[in-house]
Amino acid sequence: MFGERAAELVRGLHRAADGHLPAFNEDGIRQVLEEMKALYEQNQADVNEAKSGRSDLIRAIKFRHCSLLRNRRCVVAYLYDRLLWIRALRWEYGSVLPNDLRFHMSAEETEWFNQYKKSLATYMRSLGGEEGLDLTQDMKPPKSLYIEVRCLKDHGEFEIDDGTTILLKKNSQHFLPRWKCEQLIRQGVLEHVLS
Amino acid sequence: MFLSDFRKEFYERVLLLVASDVDALCACKILQALFQCDHVQYTLVPVSGWQELETAFLEHKDQFQYFVLINCGANVDLLEILQPEEDAFFFICDTHRPINVVNVYNETQIKLLVKQDDDLEIPAYDDIFRDEEEDEDDSGNESDGSEPSGKRKRFEEDIMERTMKRRQRREWEARRREILFDYEQYEYHGTSSAMVMFDLAWIMSKDLNDMLWWAIVGLTDQWVQDKITQMKYVTDIGTLQRHVSRHNHRNEDEENSLSIDCMRIAFEYDLRLALYQHWSLFESLCNTCYTSASLKLWSVQGQKRLQEFFADMGLPLKQVKQKFNSMDISLKENLQEMIEESASKFGMKNLRVQTFSIHFGFKNKFLASDIVYSTASLMENIEKDEPGTDNFIKALDSLSRSNLDKLHQGLELAKKQLRAIQQTVASCICTNLVISQGPFLYCYLMEGTPDVKLFSKPVSLCLLSKYLLKSFVCSTKNKRCKLLPLIVAAPMDVEQGTVIMVGIPPETESSDKKNFFGRAFEKAAESTNSRTLHNHFDMSIIELKMEDRSKFLDALISLLS
Repeated sequence: MFGERAAELVRGLHRAADGHLPAFNEDGIRQVLEEMKALYEQNQADVNEAKSGRSDLIRAIKFRHCSLLRNRRCVVAYLYDRLLWIRALRWEYGSVLPNDLRFHMSAEETEWFNQYKKSLATYMRSLGGEEGLDLTQDMKPPKSLYIEVRCLKDHGEFEIDDGTTILLKKNSQHFLPRWKCEQLIRQGVLEHVLS
Repeated sequence: MFLSDFRKEFYERVLLLVASDVDALCACKILQALFQCDHVQYTLVPVSGWQELETAFLEHKDQFQYFVLINCGANVDLLEILQPEEDAFFFICDTHRPINVVNVYNETQIKLLVKQDDDLEIPAYDDIFRDEEEDEDDSGNESDGSEPSGKRKRFEEDIMERTMKRRQRREWEARRREILFDYEQYEYHGTSSAMVMFDLAWIMSKDLNDMLWWAIVGLTDQWVQDKITQMKYVTDIGTLQRHVSRHNHRNEDEENSLSIDCMRIAFEYDLRLALYQHWSLFESLCNTCYTSASLKLWSVQGQKRLQEFFADMGLPLKQVKQKFNSMDISLKENLQEMIEESASKFGMKNLRVQTFSIHFGFKNKFLASDIVYSTASLMENIEKDEPGTDNFIKALDSLSRSNLDKLHQGLELAKKQLRAIQQTVASCICTNLVISQGPFLYCYLMEGTPDVKLFSKPVSLCLLSKYLLKSFVCSTKNKRCKLLPLIVAAPMDVEQGTVIMVGIPPETESSDKKNFFGRAFEKAAESTNSRTLHNHFDMSIIELKMEDRSKFLDALISLLS
């Protein structure tokens, strides 16, 4: 039936909506495009014939035209949904995506992703004075910009982005910006002190 | 140099080096709260002695430009010990006096946070520092075309001038040595660091009730450890009382009073019995130094007197031995006045003392001295063999109101510590372990003494020494011995064969708490080449090898006679 494969594309994407981005269904798209091409060619031939008199083909032409529109709509929905998903990945994972996700994107999608990254970076740099403002850090306003952490084991020197180093010795306490400590808290080297 | 405007010159990315005593912990808490308010990034490193201070400084000096030292560093030439870079700044908030003259007169790198009305008696600059003047050299005596006799005369005059200058210089140096000797001879303590920090908070209008409570605990720590005179304590209590009424006046007004869960501080003229509200009255009376020494509880007669004391007050023994909170309410009602009356009959006139208490919630009421005992025993906890910094962190945590379990743990440890102190004192007095060596009294705790491990820590040993001296003064009939200072030694590390030795000033009514043992120990160690370690911030606490003990003592005796 016409439109089956297109619906299959959309259904496949819908099923995977809870998990990771599925691989780009190159095959599916190709098949749908071939179907569309076949339908179009048939329609072309029939339109020429209908012009020269045979009016009973008009219904068939209309039918194929609807299938074409349907296929187009499904393909566009598929592509657009994937783009939205990829855009959300930037906000979730940051500017470097994990490898398996990267392999699931097509070349054009990767190109789109890079352009989006660039746009976002330009925008963020234009805010907040000189250094720009990283909007992707906290989705909700944090309770405090700085937190007090205690060092649980000797970790040695730790270098932060702006070049300052901190010596992490057991039982020393530090008062640092939240984003600098999060990775170490996740690793278990630092402990958030709530007093 | 002294810091006049605390606020402007104080804030950046900072390293906090904090000594290990309760006053320093309280000052540290207040400063941490202020830094968090203003988002000043800091790193906190606990230090318990000069060696740790040096190590911490060396490790961190590349990363920080500003260093804050709490309760350490004022009484030595800091720049010489640490050898910092030109752009390093030190802010020192220390109660140790006398402040080293180099620290006072250094204009650039050292800034002292000290209350200006603390009488410091610092010698004048010109009396101790002098620009190096070049001696005039002889070659400046060129004379062209003058008579030989004239030249000789000028030559003689020059020699006279130079000898006069040299003599003046020698006199100046002698006077300088004398001034410095007088200045640095006695060690004592100034205003509590926690109070200085609270003042800073108040100047910035960022003071809170919590910070006020920590300032109170810091001051009470100085009183419990007998570091300040009674006069100074009362004056400081007056200062704090004004702040307390400013923060806590809403409770007096019945209509607008706060919820019972809010923290409130109240002024109390309460009994000076240690931990009595968390213990039984009987135990508390037995284990508080003042009562135990006055009633002489190490003797059988003393025990009888104790029972008479309770009988005089009309308190049945069964009630008194129960937990304080379970005593009959009718007995607790006028307890303080009753005890005071009976106590004056038994020779204890100062059983009540001005202090503060804190309430939050229905169950939690603590006196300032309770918190002091609890924190001090947490900090010197020997139960698990943890490194000193672990205990420091636990003690620091216990000062927050949300860590009540640590506070209660500290209270239990404090009870054990007080009992151990009393038992040790009792056995020392009964077995006459305190002997007079001439210019001072001496007591050595043998290795097998129970709980002797507890006394390998400086603060516990100091507490023991003070209690021992008070009890000894009450027990001895020898008038001369009552005026002598005391040195107590206890084994510190059996494997390494070291002993920790503490010297405390004599116990008199109007004692000014000035301690000369710091300098005395230094000189004795030098003259006998003993292997000593002057690691503690208090100069009157040292560690030395067991074998060197006797010659060290002999040197001390000859030095002080």
